[in-house]
Amino acid sequence: MTPNSASSAPSRRNFLASTAVAAAAVAGGMPLLSACGGSQSGSKDGTTSGKDAAKILPSFVASTVVAPDIPAKNGSAAGFTKAIAEADLKTSVTKKLGSGGKLKIMAPFWGTPPKGDNPYYTAMNKAIGVDVTWQNQDGVTYDEKLGAVLASSDIPDVVVVPGWNLNGKIPGAINAKFADLGPYLSGDKVKDYPNLAAVPTEAWQRGIFGGQLRAIPMPASYVTDIAPLYRKDIFDKKGYSVPTSPKEFLSWAKEATRPKSKVWACDDMKWTAFNIFSVFPGSDKALWWNMVDGKLVNRIETDEYLEALEWVRKLYAAKVVHPDAVSGKAGGNAGNRLTSGEVLVYNQNISDWWGKMSEQHAQNPDFEIAAFDIFGPDGGDPKLWAVQPANIFTFISKKASKQQIKDFLAVCDFCAAPYGTKEFMLTMYGVEGTDYEVKKGLPAKTTQGVNEVNGAFDYTGNPAPFVAYTDFPDVTKGMVEWQQRMGAFTRKTSFFGLTVTEPNRWANLADSFEQLEDDVVRGRKKISDVQQAVADWKSKGGDDLRDWYKKLLDDTGSAK
Amino acid sequence: MSHSTVPRNTAEAQTSAKSPVASGDDTTGSRSRARSGFRARSRSRDGKDPGKLNLRLRFKRDRTLLLMVLPAVLLLLVFNYIPILGNVVAFQDYDPYLSENGFIAIFQSPWVGFEQFERIFADSAFWHAVQNTFVLFFLQLVLFFPVPILLALLINSVVRPRVRAIAQAVMYLPHFFSWVLVVTVFMQIFGGAGIIAQTLRQHGYDGLDLMTNPEIFKYLVTVEMIWKDAGWGIIVFLAALSSVSGDLYEAAAMDGAGRWRRMWHITLPALRPVIALLLVLRVGDALTVGFEQLLLQRQAVGVNASDVLDTYVWWNGIRNQDFSYAAAAGLIKGVVGLALVLTANKVAHLMGEQGVYKK
Repeated sequence: MTPNSASSAPSRRNFLASTAVAAAAVAGGMPLLSACGGSQSGSKDGTTSGKDAAKILPSFVASTVVAPDIPAKNGSAAGFTKAIAEADLKTSVTKKLGSGGKLKIMAPFWGTPPKGDNPYYTAMNKAIGVDVTWQNQDGVTYDEKLGAVLASSDIPDVVVVPGWNLNGKIPGAINAKFADLGPYLSGDKVKDYPNLAAVPTEAWQRGIFGGQLRAIPMPASYVTDIAPLYRKDIFDKKGYSVPTSPKEFLSWAKEATRPKSKVWACDDMKWTAFNIFSVFPGSDKALWWNMVDGKLVNRIETDEYLEALEWVRKLYAAKVVHPDAVSGKAGGNAGNRLTSGEVLVYNQNISDWWGKMSEQHAQNPDFEIAAFDIFGPDGGDPKLWAVQPANIFTFISKKASKQQIKDFLAVCDFCAAPYGTKEFMLTMYGVEGTDYEVKKGLPAKTTQGVNEVNGAFDYTGNPAPFVAYTDFPDVTKGMVEWQQRMGAFTRKTSFFGLTVTEPNRWANLADSFEQLEDDVVRGRKKISDVQQAVADWKSKGGDDLRDWYKKLLDDTGSAK
Repeated sequence: MSHSTVPRNTAEAQTSAKSPVASGDDTTGSRSRARSGFRARSRSRDGKDPGKLNLRLRFKRDRTLLLMVLPAVLLLLVFNYIPILGNVVAFQDYDPYLSENGFIAIFQSPWVGFEQFERIFADSAFWHAVQNTFVLFFLQLVLFFPVPILLALLINSVVRPRVRAIAQAVMYLPHFFSWVLVVTVFMQIFGGAGIIAQTLRQHGYDGLDLMTNPEIFKYLVTVEMIWKDAGWGIIVFLAALSSVSGDLYEAAAMDGAGRWRRMWHITLPALRPVIALLLVLRVGDALTVGFEQLLLQRQAVGVNASDVLDTYVWWNGIRNQDFSYAAAAGLIKGVVGLALVLTANKVAHLMGEQGVYKK
């Protein structure tokens, strides 16, 4: 239900190393919290912040092995542009924590998963001392499988859940099915796992589900993760200048679209439109709400929401959007349309900037992409809203034994090793000679490495947000600086930083809005249909849900 | 002379051709009735007169057969009958995550009576799905159903075995493609950036996009279905055709019946019971009009055009974990489907065909 989940083809590979934040620790002193009215044991609704959260959050022990070349600012990730020689790498996991036990992990994967016994997985398992088996599921349709998997009595030991898949009753399922990590991590206990102790508190706060610390979060920059990426090489060649307002974008798009030579200006731009028009973020349900003039307002009730949809509708109507993008998931992969030059602009997680560059580098050295700055509705500065400071979670089943939980934490601790360590090199680049090669002192992934070292161990623990693509220092710099520029325009909505479980009876209320958006922008439904849907939403429980959120805010306070 | 004989011959041909049909029809009808009457009588005799006494003997006698049936019965029980019990969640506010085990959670979920059904009937998306289901069903009945029959007749008229084998292979093949592949192939040809659209553009015309037009979507899916499955559907008809005795054709030809007459008076009547049977089955299955195919193209044309009952149930139940709601919708589908089978079967009986089962 979030914009992220059903896109036409997000290849969200390489997600991992994206972003993250220097943590503003959770402000203390908020009133208590939580769990309003959860009548049923397993699915406690509500959220946890303030003192209650402080009781279960792990302590923060900073660990900096290498000072970043571009320090984090405005909520951006920290950037590392210089490679570190093999000999200078530090060791952050001094003794093998794994017991040699077995763990089965289910995780989303964007692309074609590697073989289960590939050299990277084998090397990781050996280094950690845990025998991990991966069940890689298609990331694009992950939301469609989660519900069924969690409803069964036989769930994998460990499950990775992206925040944008926390739809409907999934948060309730998480509270019922996954173990409390508090006894292993709360307070100073986390110091047994030094790399996890360096995970920002802001990210841990997001890992509290149903009043207990259940998730290992993947810290991320709170600056919007969706960047409008464009083909810089083609722009330069054709002499296009980057558009700076929605109007300019449309007129540029009309000029750049040449169906005869199979070139369209852009792919589906809905996510970017939401950013341009300052719509509250859609990637997490609690972020849909914000206090406006003393009243909680949902993103779907705002004029900005309608304006954004109307602008995207104009793009579709002007036929500047690639025809295959109209078909959505059936139309194939948006990223492939960009690399083949059939579209010149598309929006995707910012990590794709590096992802596409490194993928295309070998066969097409001229290929160059970049993100352009998000502009406001009339051009000029945008007003952006912060996304959650962690939005991919890893859980371990309630049925897991103590030993299994410890093994799981060993995996997470290893994978959370910071830049400049041997563990980091292995987690992020794989096995030297197989997954990456060192050329002129720079590690560069091989084709095999691009496939294998992707979408697996990177989810299960991560240090504070960072961008460290030393093989493409310019891309690293571009990404961090883009986040810093955009971060300057970013504010936080009322529930920023909190993980909220909605009561079951309203959990499915907004399920159809994403489909409706897609219909409207493609001209199959009208803006008035959205207004009607919002009216229905209100009468079916939207207003009650507003009161519930309001009470939550009054009772527990925000995380800011 | 020839002038006088020709009309007489035609008349003769007509009556002779007609009478076997009429009589054949009568006899099969009466025969089947007689047979069923006989069976019913003999069954009652077996069951009541020597019945209980013989039960053990009969069990001993049929032991092997019963043993062979057992696995099938077990499978039927486990995969068809026990899951039916799960439909009780339609009357609950079922939350599978209440317990470790989704099955035990049924006993812990609160009962809500007919609330889910009320929600469904108030949901315009449900009625859209119902409408689409029926529209697709009728289109498939009119456009898809006759195609395998025509193809079977065509293949049957091919005499050379080699050509026939190749033609059959070519027609069966698409059945083994997955829907993903079929949709992709259609997209590459008829899509907005497909071969046809790009060729048109290169010659100065506007491109066309048949894949994202909600108006023609119902025809598009029917055409996709014909391309994929029509060839496969001819197997049953070919089998029926092969059982028609060559003598009939020879006799008719001797009487001067041309190609068309032979087809009309021999081939089609021979196919009639099979057609009726398949028609009954199809009507009984009317609410199942495709799933994967429609799901794949859901975003391309939007929910209003593509949602049918099955995808509606999937969306609410699996995608959104609103299991009770989806179960209620599934139950409605089941009940309506049952009514349709019974009706269709009744109609078949009235037409003098056997249908799926006898009375």
